[in-house]
Amino acid sequence: MPSHPLRVAVVCSSNQNRSMEAHNILSKRGFDVRSFGTGSHVKLPGPTPDKPNVYDFKTTYVQMYNDLVRKDKELYTQNGILHMLDRNKRIKTKPERFQNCKDRFDLVITCEERVYDQVVEDLNSREQETLQPVHVINVDIQDNHEEATLGAFLICELCQCIQHTEDMENEIEELLQEFEEKSNRPFLHTVCFY
Amino acid sequence: MDMPTQEEATPSDIDMTTSERVVDLLNQAALISADEKLTILKQVQELIINKDPSLLDNFLDEMIAFQTDKSIEIRKFVIGFIEEACKRDNELLLRLIANLNMLLKDEGVNVVKKAILTLTQLYKVTLQWLVRSKTVSERQEACWDLVTQMKGDVLALLDSENDGIRTHAIKFTESLIITLSARTSDSDIPKRQESDISLDKVPKDHSYIRYDVLSEEGKLALEKLLKFMIHPAISSINLTTVLGSLATVARQRPMFMSEVVQAYETLHANLPPTLAKSQVSSVRKNLKLHLVSVLKHPCSLEFQGQISTLLLDLGMPQSEITRSTPAPREPRKRTRQEQYTEGKKVKMEPALMEDDDDKEEPAPLAVPKPTTVPVAQSAIDLTAEFLHPLLNPENVANLVLISMVYLPDVMPASFQATYTPVESAGTDAQIKHLARLMATQITAAGMGPGLEQCKARENDAGKDDVDDESGSKDHLIKRKIPTVMMGQAISVVGGYTEKAEETAPAAVKRLPEPILPTTQTKLAGTSGRKKVFRLSDVIQPLSESQIEALTSKAIKRILHSEKAIAQSGMSHVRVKLLTRLVTQFDGMMKDDVLKFVLEDIRARSDLAFSLLYQEYNTYLSQLPSGLLDSYDHCLYTLLSGLQEKPEQKDGLFTKLVLEAPVITESALEVIRRYCEDESRVYLGMTTLKELIVKRPSRQFQYLHVLLDLSSHEKEKVRTTALAFLKRMYEKDHLRDYIEKFALNYMQLLVHPNPPSLLFGADKDTEVAAPWTEDTVRQCLFLYLSLLPLNHQLVHELASVYTEAIADIKRSVLRAIEQPIRGMGMNSPELLLLVENCPKGAETLVTRCLHILTDKVPPSPELVERVRDLYHKRVPDVRFLIPVINGLEKSEVIQALPKLIKLNPIVVKEVFNRLLGTQHSEGSSTVSPLTPGDLLIALHNIDSNKCDMKSIIKATNLCFGEKNVYTSEVLAVVMQQLMDQNPLPMLLMRTVIQSLTMYPRLGGFVMNILSRLIMKQVWKYPKVWEGFVKCCQRTKPQSYSVLLQLPSAQLTSMFERCPEMREPLLQHVHSLTPHQQAHIPTSIMTVLEGEKKPDEPVRENELEPLSAAVEEQVPDSPSQETSVQQVTDVKEDEEPMEQEESTPVIQEESDPVSQEAPKVDVAEESTMSPERESPEELMETSQPEASPPQEPEKDVEAASNEPEAESEKETVE
Repeated sequence: MPSHPLRVAVVCSSNQNRSMEAHNILSKRGFDVRSFGTGSHVKLPGPTPDKPNVYDFKTTYVQMYNDLVRKDKELYTQNGILHMLDRNKRIKTKPERFQNCKDRFDLVITCEERVYDQVVEDLNSREQETLQPVHVINVDIQDNHEEATLGAFLICELCQCIQHTEDMENEIEELLQEFEEKSNRPFLHTVCFY
Repeated sequence: MDMPTQEEATPSDIDMTTSERVVDLLNQAALISADEKLTILKQVQELIINKDPSLLDNFLDEMIAFQTDKSIEIRKFVIGFIEEACKRDNELLLRLIANLNMLLKDEGVNVVKKAILTLTQLYKVTLQWLVRSKTVSERQEACWDLVTQMKGDVLALLDSENDGIRTHAIKFTESLIITLSARTSDSDIPKRQESDISLDKVPKDHSYIRYDVLSEEGKLALEKLLKFMIHPAISSINLTTVLGSLATVARQRPMFMSEVVQAYETLHANLPPTLAKSQVSSVRKNLKLHLVSVLKHPCSLEFQGQISTLLLDLGMPQSEITRSTPAPREPRKRTRQEQYTEGKKVKMEPALMEDDDDKEEPAPLAVPKPTTVPVAQSAIDLTAEFLHPLLNPENVANLVLISMVYLPDVMPASFQATYTPVESAGTDAQIKHLARLMATQITAAGMGPGLEQCKARENDAGKDDVDDESGSKDHLIKRKIPTVMMGQAISVVGGYTEKAEETAPAAVKRLPEPILPTTQTKLAGTSGRKKVFRLSDVIQPLSESQIEALTSKAIKRILHSEKAIAQSGMSHVRVKLLTRLVTQFDGMMKDDVLKFVLEDIRARSDLAFSLLYQEYNTYLSQLPSGLLDSYDHCLYTLLSGLQEKPEQKDGLFTKLVLEAPVITESALEVIRRYCEDESRVYLGMTTLKELIVKRPSRQFQYLHVLLDLSSHEKEKVRTTALAFLKRMYEKDHLRDYIEKFALNYMQLLVHPNPPSLLFGADKDTEVAAPWTEDTVRQCLFLYLSLLPLNHQLVHELASVYTEAIADIKRSVLRAIEQPIRGMGMNSPELLLLVENCPKGAETLVTRCLHILTDKVPPSPELVERVRDLYHKRVPDVRFLIPVINGLEKSEVIQALPKLIKLNPIVVKEVFNRLLGTQHSEGSSTVSPLTPGDLLIALHNIDSNKCDMKSIIKATNLCFGEKNVYTSEVLAVVMQQLMDQNPLPMLLMRTVIQSLTMYPRLGGFVMNILSRLIMKQVWKYPKVWEGFVKCCQRTKPQSYSVLLQLPSAQLTSMFERCPEMREPLLQHVHSLTPHQQAHIPTSIMTVLEGEKKPDEPVRENELEPLSAAVEEQVPDSPSQETSVQQVTDVKEDEEPMEQEESTPVIQEESDPVSQEAPKVDVAEESTMSPERESPEELMETSQPEASPPQEPEKDVEAASNEPEAESEKETVE
């Protein structure tokens, strides 16, 4: 699709770490990109694994930031959560839920298989209207800062390659095969229709 | 009429403004870039479709005109506009559908996709509009025809080369199936599509839209889609799309659910082998998702078993499956079941009835259900039932063993993904499941008792005409997997060809509209998708030029797919393919391929070799009559290509040459050219050498090239060739050939003019050109480099030499130095040459001798041969010069008179050799003569044998060597000469000379003089003369000597120089009286003698003298000439060689050979202005003698050249 810039959505579970990291990089590279989460809530690590901080999708990043500063500034500074939220709030005001977004994309990139399933299920459950295709690709990324950064670069490279294809739909399969070989990780890939 | 218009002014004002804006925007749009244009056109669309639809018609043409815009986005926009416009005003379909049709065939892939999407919508819109339309017009009918045709085109696009287009075509097909089938009560209807048309809303009495045709088309579309899904090479995305589409179809048209579920089942067991691992998991995920969505549908009840099994296989937990299963609706299920069995009978009838009678009421729900599905369905059931009891352990074990044979080498990704360990093996449930799985495969393969029973049942129904149809349909599905697959435990590939053959006629039969061959423009090829069944429609004989163009394109594609093929590890196949193709067909291909190879010969050498061998093979296969032309061309092109390439560091050229089966003439020519390239000469010749060594059958041909190169004009080429030849010369079998060649070449020298052969083929015009140094050398290079290896060859040179002209001789003499030196003076052959010295080769031999003894003293053997030669055969003294230091003292003395008569430069060389002054480092040379001996020998030369002048010159040469002739040496010489009897003529000259050189010898000289008086020196006129002169020069000292003279001699003395008398007298007077007393009176008388006669004599002599002095002083040349005249007059007694007489030397000889009056003259002149005139003369003579000595090589050359010249004279 060389004629117009790809409309890309990057989706992870809470629209905090992986999707936002990719969002950050992709927008810097000039992509028409948005990011989403598919979870029912936004979850951030808490003091113990069984006590996460849970917010709904209406809470802004700033609010979460302030909340965590209030709760335990040192802990959340040390584990990088505050830094992440700080980054996020510069990109957009609050997390978005994929299922609630009716905008259309050319390419949806998910960051783990569960998210991919949710996205595909959601897209399939929608009523078909224009039958415009949307490609959904899953790139497995572990939910930590380092992997998020590496994953974001991989996603970015993938998007750039797709953007540069003459005929995206005709070449994407082969392209993904090449990428699989190169990055040595499998990509789930499907197409849905709006 | 005015009024209404005015009244309408207000609305039209608004209109005008909108309209004006539209006009304005459209005007802008014509001029700006694509991006802005798009924005503006979107505004226009908004204005004329939504804001003021009345304008739509006005500006339609302007908007549609943009469909030819360059920009893809604009064209896509126009499609969107067509859709919107047609939805807004259905009437516009009549005008716009043709435009859409055009855009459907656009070259831009994305435009086509957009057009397909729009057609998906507009098909429904058109159908709805036409169905509702009360009026019937031809335009509408035509419009419908076109839409129908476009529908066919898009269906055909399922076979497009482009993945994306296929995806869109699938979605179109999905929509088409739903539209062209009846909506039922249990249909899942998306809200948005509630108002959409479907088959049940189509009246059966429409004039041109035929319900039954549409119904058939819908079923056909489903078949097409099902067929599409099981294509073995389907792409993962297409497969995903079809899975989704089928789910949609199943949910919205539950009557197709059984086909869909069955298709899912079949697919699950036969995932395409082309899918990668990750694609398999993507597809399985999709399959699961869609199965669940189908399962959730209330009508799925009767398929729940199958679906749950599939879902379990796909890894879904039973709990989740149960959650997705709708609550059973008992009554409904039962009715459906009943209907189901009845359906088989019922459904045929309506089909018939529809054909016969359009006015029949629409059939109940199940009516349009295709016959095939329940048949297949039950066939599977029946077969499964049949199989179940047969699956006892023994049979199963046998089946497993048999199927082992058919297992593929590599586990297919699909199997790997699907495989789950069988947990409940052996249980009845598992056996049932297995039986069903096998039944699915068997039925799909068109076999099994179930199918037969179903067929029988159908036949019983006895509906012949429908039977035909349904039979073929049956066929379609049951032949999806051909019988071949039967043995395979995991069937992977469908026999697509077989199926295609059968469907092709069916497709033609079913579609009344002509199928536009939109996708058939290209031959099947690059993409993995096969369209075999279309090919037969398309095949036309191609024209010659087309064939040619296609062939060359095909070749080019193979050529340029290098990388891709290399990655797949099939390079060798490509190479083989190319080679075979290219060698079989003539034409440009060969050149193209060769050119391609040469572009990157290093990487493509395998192709090059393969080509070459194939060409040779072709030649061999036609052997008796076959020509090497083609092979030659191939080899030549490759080699020249390599040769012309600037940098070719690796030995590819060598490799090619050495591995080529045959080296043709032209190839050899290229090799030669390669060798002539200075930067590659070594590699080239190494290659040539290898050829010579390794291809014995034609080695002389190759050797000849190398031999030719040995006289090449480029030095580097030549020397390299010579070096190689020298090495090869050591090989016995090549030796003769090389030697013969070298000798033949040298033989050319006997021709008066250089033969054209020497100038190479391109320069042979000047046949009569004279020999030059270069051409002579050209003939000798090889010979001379062989000479040190085989000394015998030297005799050949001698014989050629004697016959050659003088110019050549000179060149030869210059050229032989190196090789002769290489041979050394101990070479028996060289000694033999000296011994035999052919007539005419004397100069050659001399030259050899010179070369040999240039740096080293001659060996006794050599001296012996030379001596022999000199004495017995050619008494030319010049032979002796090189070996002079090897001769006996007496021999040297004997030869001396002859030697000194030679050219002064030669004489100088002889002396240098004798005095050891020639080579600074060669101090080991022991001369047979000491310097003193030499000088004495010179004095003793018989003047009959040699003229005095030569002797004088020779002694001068000795005096020139001040380092050798020290005062001591000279004293000894004088002493010895003194003792001789008779006194040597030149004694006094030597004495004077010595005195001039070393004034401190004065005392010694006085002693000599005294002794000379005792030896009655006056008896030797010449010596006496010198004696007087010597006394004059040593005046005060010599008085005492003079007083010893007898009176007669004193008188004679005074006669010669009267001016001596007075000082001597005074000297006597100054003596003590005692001393005076010792002086005899006779002496005193002479001293005081008659003065009178003296006066006139003196005056007479003085006058001409003063005149002469006056003449001499101002002008030295005139002095020379006058002196010369004098000497000429005086010396004509001895004939002398003219060339040896130079003015300076003559001048020098004056003081010695002068006669009395002249001595006076000289004396006067020396006396008055400066005393040391003789010395001056000596000095002037010295530089004259020394110049040849300064540059040593000049001496050699000069000493040789004149010899050759003189030799020439003798020869001719």
